Amino acid sequence: MSMPGSLLESVPLIVSFGAVIISSFYEMGRKWKIFTMFLLVAMTIFFGVLFLFPQLAQSVSSHRMLDIRFNMITIFVGLLFSGSLFIGLLPIQDEVSINTRFLCYVASGFGLIMASNLPTFFLFWFFQRMIPVPGFIQDARDNTSGGGGTYIMQHLLTAVCFLALMTIAYQANVLDLPFGEIPHSFFQWPVLLLAFIIIYQSHGIFPFHSWIHDINGRLPWYELSCIFLSRAGVLLFVQFLMPTLATDPDGFKLLLLGLSIFSSIYWSFRGLFEKNITSTVTYFYVAQSSLILTGLQADTTAARGSYLHLMVISVCGTAMFSIISYIQHHFSLKRPSQFYGLAQYYPTLASLFCLFGFCMIGVPFLASFVVEDLVITGLLEHQPYLGLGHIIATCLNGILFFMLFSKLFLGQTAYRQHVVNLDMKLSQMVPYVIGFVLMVGIGLLPFLFLEKITW
Amino acid sequence: MIEYNFLALIILPFFWFFSLGVIFFSRIKFTENFLSESSKYLSLILSMLALTLFLQVWHLSPSHLKFDYPSWIKVGHYEFKIRFIVDLLGGTYALLSTFLISTIFRYSRNYLHKEEGYFRFVFLLAVLLFGLMIVSFARTLDFLFMGWELVGTTSVLLISYFYSQVQPVRHALKAIISYRLCDMGILAASAWAHLHLHTTDFSALPEVLAEHGHHGEFGFLLIGIFVIWGSLAKAGQLPMSSWLPTAMEGPTPSSAIFYGALSVHLGPFLLIRFHDYLSHFPSLLWSIGIIGGVSSLYATLVGRTRSDAKTMLGYATISQVGLMYIEIALGFTNFAMFHMFTHASLRTYQFLRSASLISDFVDNPRVVPDVLIQRSLPLESLFSKNFRRKIYIHALHSFHLDFMTGRILLGICWPFRAYMKLEDKWMDWDNQLLKKIFGKG
Repeated sequence: MSMPGSLLESVPLIVSFGAVIISSFYEMGRKWKIFTMFLLVAMTIFFGVLFLFPQLAQSVSSHRMLDIRFNMITIFVGLLFSGSLFIGLLPIQDEVSINTRFLCYVASGFGLIMASNLPTFFLFWFFQRMIPVPGFIQDARDNTSGGGGTYIMQHLLTAVCFLALMTIAYQANVLDLPFGEIPHSFFQWPVLLLAFIIIYQSHGIFPFHSWIHDINGRLPWYELSCIFLSRAGVLLFVQFLMPTLATDPDGFKLLLLGLSIFSSIYWSFRGLFEKNITSTVTYFYVAQSSLILTGLQADTTAARGSYLHLMVISVCGTAMFSIISYIQHHFSLKRPSQFYGLAQYYPTLASLFCLFGFCMIGVPFLASFVVEDLVITGLLEHQPYLGLGHIIATCLNGILFFMLFSKLFLGQTAYRQHVVNLDMKLSQMVPYVIGFVLMVGIGLLPFLFLEKITW
Repeated sequence: MIEYNFLALIILPFFWFFSLGVIFFSRIKFTENFLSESSKYLSLILSMLALTLFLQVWHLSPSHLKFDYPSWIKVGHYEFKIRFIVDLLGGTYALLSTFLISTIFRYSRNYLHKEEGYFRFVFLLAVLLFGLMIVSFARTLDFLFMGWELVGTTSVLLISYFYSQVQPVRHALKAIISYRLCDMGILAASAWAHLHLHTTDFSALPEVLAEHGHHGEFGFLLIGIFVIWGSLAKAGQLPMSSWLPTAMEGPTPSSAIFYGALSVHLGPFLLIRFHDYLSHFPSLLWSIGIIGGVSSLYATLVGRTRSDAKTMLGYATISQVGLMYIEIALGFTNFAMFHMFTHASLRTYQFLRSASLISDFVDNPRVVPDVLIQRSLPLESLFSKNFRRKIYIHALHSFHLDFMTGRILLGICWPFRAYMKLEDKWMDWDNQLLKKIFGKG
């Protein structure tokens, strides 16, 4: 039995945007934290049920300018978006400040995930990406800290590309069509190039990646995660470009593949030379994210790997950000020299951080080994030499992670105080442990998860 | 019977480290005595199982047994099959691994007594044992890579065992860079074998190659090149030698087991596994021989300039492994296997004794004559004093290997660094523009 599509689809948006509106009028303090956690867990269950019973989310095709709907990829990304944020935020809810801005990120994230045609996608994308802009402008006015210029510039240029794409779509009478119903004939070179810029800029892929430097360190990790977790680039790629990718020119496919692999290598190098720990974590995260698009472009084997990769990066990345945030808050860390040797104070958190990292870099019997195996195999059949590039990127990611881990937790501590165990309580760590068990589950029994992946 | 025996050898270490992991996260406290006793008995049981298996395989030799299990990953036409081979090579390596690890457990009970990281040490050795069992019995390259990675990861974590000090962490990073660079080779070999030969099964590779009849084709040659490259870091052969002598920062038992015995011999082990394939390409055998010869000479010369026991032993190990490479290149695989077994056992003993060398000198004068062997060889007198001095100076600087590697790596990074500077300038320009538009003055 399927429920009325429009009612079901509206639930995440009504709840999250409703919270945004109410929060801008009423200051409820700590209650917002409880509400946000409740919202995230409810959405996780909601998308989880839809993921397990996709027949509940069968939508009726409609040609409306503003169109939201479910399909397997949006349900999957929605589940990862809410679930990962919940895993990351719950253990450290006392340290985060949840305000209207954060709720705006969450609401626009849900909107982006469920957008089903170009105008709707542009609306939520623009809304989400413009949230930090007033802060940048205010900083420029006050002449306080620099930054934000590249972010604004790149997003405005991408918005122009979006508008150009929508103009072409309007002239071709496909503007209000859902992504899956756009005819093959629409995808000519100008459309492909514009889509390429939009997708790669949204995903932070070289050469449209510089905006990440501007938000890195200026936004709290959970707001930054909202931007990455809503996966605008991946969603647009899967829904807009992927159905016709087989018929696209070979040069275009080579460009897409080559750049996403090069981007991962670039971010790894950037991380290796970076001194700031938070930035290094972000670069490690983005280097991993760049590889998602690689598998999606190769073939069905690699695409399944990429779907798993999406899951691994979302869960592990958020958990890693969350652990660092907890330690930073507890130790009031500001200077890079203050990191190092923190494993003495946080042995269990250091182990968890290490294990989450292992889950991302391809250590056997953990989730990403399955991912790498599928992606590399799929890619090699498609583009053998680019497959070798992927192998190089994976290996560099591994080196970057070890460097990051050693900078944070190993070496001589800057503190002379008596070493005491400052780990979280075991009950507080439960969400991390659940995330890790999931990763081990995928690593040990991948067939159980791979069977569920459809699009 | 053989199947159950070898399955127990794979499954027991897995459950061992898995249960230790669960214990760590549930924060259950165990006494050191319980941990060391249980490890000792478990490793003894595993040694007995390995010995039984070795004897069974010895009886079977030269034939071998193959075991296939259901696919681990299956997507479309792609399958990752769990395939094992139980032969004399695998049986020997498994016996060596379990026997030496049980020795190490017994030794570390005293050596690491009341050491804070004892639990971590036991856990990592259990992971190592599991990894080694997979490497020993894996029949496909991609499955072997799983064990290979586990060995590498535990090795790095044990180098940084004393993680509150700077040097061990730095050397662990050096090790991981070397490992990762060479692991690319194994990954690439596996992927390339899938692509060109449609299998990574060692036992099937020569037949598949013969069927194709394209021995001269570059793709097939490339698989061999990747395999050789992949073997270099673990074996500490040139140009990946410099990390091994610096990796002795971990506790002595772990140095013994990794860099004297088990991890360092995985390079020759891989080449022996691949020998039937590599022997189709004489150029590859020549390369193996040359790498081994040059590494052996290099390690001998550099090792003779070092003054601390563990570093000298590290270079001596590189030198001996280099000789094994030469033996493999010449086709003496059984001899190389025998060499591996005896060398690993002797080197473990030497590493374990190195910790008490000074006290031996003081307290046990009977040892001294054995240690103070005449070190100058008659061969040396053939060269002029000036030449010997020059060689000594270069050997003292490890023939500038670290410097050259650093320059090459920096050269590779240069375009990235240049671009990063350009990007930073560009971002500054953007921010200036933003301030001009919105700034107050």
